[in-house]
Amino acid sequence: MVLAVMVGKIIALLIKFKGTGGTAAPGLYALKIDPNLVKKISEKNNLKSIVVSGTNGKTTTSRILYDIISKKYKVIHNRQGSNLLRGIASTMITNASVSGKLNYDCAVWESDEAALLPISQNIDIDVLVLLNLFRDQLDRYGEIDTTRKKWQEVVKNLKPDASLILNADDPSVNYLSKFTKSKKIFFGLSTTKIDLPQVENVADVKFCPNCNGKLIYEDLYSAHLGTYKCSKCSFKRENPQVSVNSVTFNQDYSTSIKAKIKKESVSIHYQLPGLFNVYNVMAALTSAISIGIDTKSATTDISKFTAAFGRYQQIKLNNKNILIFLIKNPAGANEVIRTIAANQRINLLLILNDHIADGRDVSWIWDTNWEALAGKISNLDIAGTRAWDMALRLKYSGIQINQKNVHEDLNTAISSATAKLATDDTLYILPTYTALIGLQTYLKSKGVASWQNQ
Amino acid sequence: MAKPMTLNICHLYPNLMDTYGDRGNITALQYRCKQRNIEVIYSPLTINDKLSTNNYDLFFFGGGQDRAQEIVGKDLLSKSKALKESIENGATLLSICGGYQLLQKYFKTIEDKTIKGIGLFNAYTKGSDTRIMNNLLIEINPKLLSDIKKTYQSTTNYEPALPAGRPSTNYLIGFENHSGKTYLEEGTMPLGTVIKGSGNNGEDKLEGAVYKNAFGCYLHGSLLPKNPHFADFLISKAFQRRYGIVKLAPLNDSIEWQAHKSAIARIS
Repeated sequence: MVLAVMVGKIIALLIKFKGTGGTAAPGLYALKIDPNLVKKISEKNNLKSIVVSGTNGKTTTSRILYDIISKKYKVIHNRQGSNLLRGIASTMITNASVSGKLNYDCAVWESDEAALLPISQNIDIDVLVLLNLFRDQLDRYGEIDTTRKKWQEVVKNLKPDASLILNADDPSVNYLSKFTKSKKIFFGLSTTKIDLPQVENVADVKFCPNCNGKLIYEDLYSAHLGTYKCSKCSFKRENPQVSVNSVTFNQDYSTSIKAKIKKESVSIHYQLPGLFNVYNVMAALTSAISIGIDTKSATTDISKFTAAFGRYQQIKLNNKNILIFLIKNPAGANEVIRTIAANQRINLLLILNDHIADGRDVSWIWDTNWEALAGKISNLDIAGTRAWDMALRLKYSGIQINQKNVHEDLNTAISSATAKLATDDTLYILPTYTALIGLQTYLKSKGVASWQNQ
Repeated sequence: MAKPMTLNICHLYPNLMDTYGDRGNITALQYRCKQRNIEVIYSPLTINDKLSTNNYDLFFFGGGQDRAQEIVGKDLLSKSKALKESIENGATLLSICGGYQLLQKYFKTIEDKTIKGIGLFNAYTKGSDTRIMNNLLIEINPKLLSDIKKTYQSTTNYEPALPAGRPSTNYLIGFENHSGKTYLEEGTMPLGTVIKGSGNNGEDKLEGAVYKNAFGCYLHGSLLPKNPHFADFLISKAFQRRYGIVKLAPLNDSIEWQAHKSAIARIS
């Protein structure tokens, strides 16, 4: 273990000197030397470990949670880097002594959906937070059922005194409660009104995970999230212990919610837009309370939270406002579209890449409802390795395309898009994952603070 | 004014076979018809809906998740007769991935379980434990090419996509994502030959199947938006049944061909 930690530390130092990326590299090489490194460090340190996973919202949720609990505890968190086992290894190595000692009380680990099983085999999980399951990068994750079955294994092996925090509104996540011996806490939405423009719905789950019967929805909030029951068996949405019964999305992209925690009612106003962030906030709140943080302290920190890297990022560039929303799958992109479609004059820069981290298959843009933006776009620029696929998708949504605004080069695209803005205008940038990294590099070169340091 | 022509499109199980972005094919057909003042009558047909022979000019059947495909497979048997009769009477059909597999004779899973198909295509699929995920470029079967060239026109030039110098209209580009390997029986015509990617099974260089005006393939992407020549070919075929040979007005397909070309350029 000592050798693995040392090699990892040396690589981390080298990367630091070089000043570029590679947050997973120390962990990757250290795990090659000692595949059980994470397990060993984990056993050596008696951390209270919280693991957060889900298709959409895991970065935001774990960051909110970190902000809340770091007021009370000393918390280690893979904030800067990879959410695979090697990313956790990297974070541990950087923060541990050579003998593997960590000077922390708690850990918040964000976990990739597909990496949750190996992570759970190496970390003694005290709280597991499962947000949702949507189709995402089919060429990487496969279909939803594949991931759900892996999660089933994880949940089955959770220790009895652990807490399992589940989104009641997602049938696949709700169903997992059946397989655990640990304590279950559900969160969910209990309101009939979502004040956002409607988009045509894309549900990735239509059938009961238990018996294949058709799911019947009383309320449907987004994709397959809602209040449902099976038409054949007794499977249904659990009543959440933490529920939101009123949501107001404000013009300035802040949100006001009223939540009920068992019998207590709380109002929270926070600086994040959109429906998914309501779930993220609820998940973080529920998890914080489960480890003994008081509600008031948690809601205060939630109200101060500002968004994570590219997930609704507000920046100023030459007196112009830029809002960045990461897009990566139909369910998430549809919610971003709903959030920005409330405007009537939109300046938009779309960046579609098809590298491995984006998903090499761009078919998903055809299951996303860009039609909701038709008639609302003032200026449009498109970039990325698959810019022309994106341009074609928008053309078929009834949006005018000027081919001069389809760019091969990202920097040209950003210059072109920002040049069209009047002072105080807002540009919406919707990048896929690797495009977001490229965007960050560009903004850094323009003197906009690096997000990695946040 | 002459009554506008109509195109009756039947989308098979759109609520279940909807996971791989294949809906873009319907979007493309609708868009290209609208530009030409052709009225599209779109009918989604799903579990327990009745299919009558000869109601539709064009069928579309996309890919779905394994669990959905199982449920659809059972229901499809009840629509088999009407669907096959429609094809015998000249209707056009495009099926992709899961839809393509269900129209074959059978699917043998990796656990050796046989799931019956309706046998429209004289072909079968065997499950495997590796998933094939690639950009897929094929050269269209020469037997279809002359028809495609006769039906397709664009107001814009489209340059040859490949160094071989053959015209872009010889090719189809898409993305394949399947673990089933499809084998064509003796005499079954493939849709094309594989240039890059795996196609039906990654062994015989063949992709897709053709029976009369019915086509099956593994090309997601969506296929038709960035392969406008094939979209127009399907529309023309679908018209033949009721209107005879119809010349489609050329459209400006500049963005379509740019997307086609840039997707080919991404193949490493």
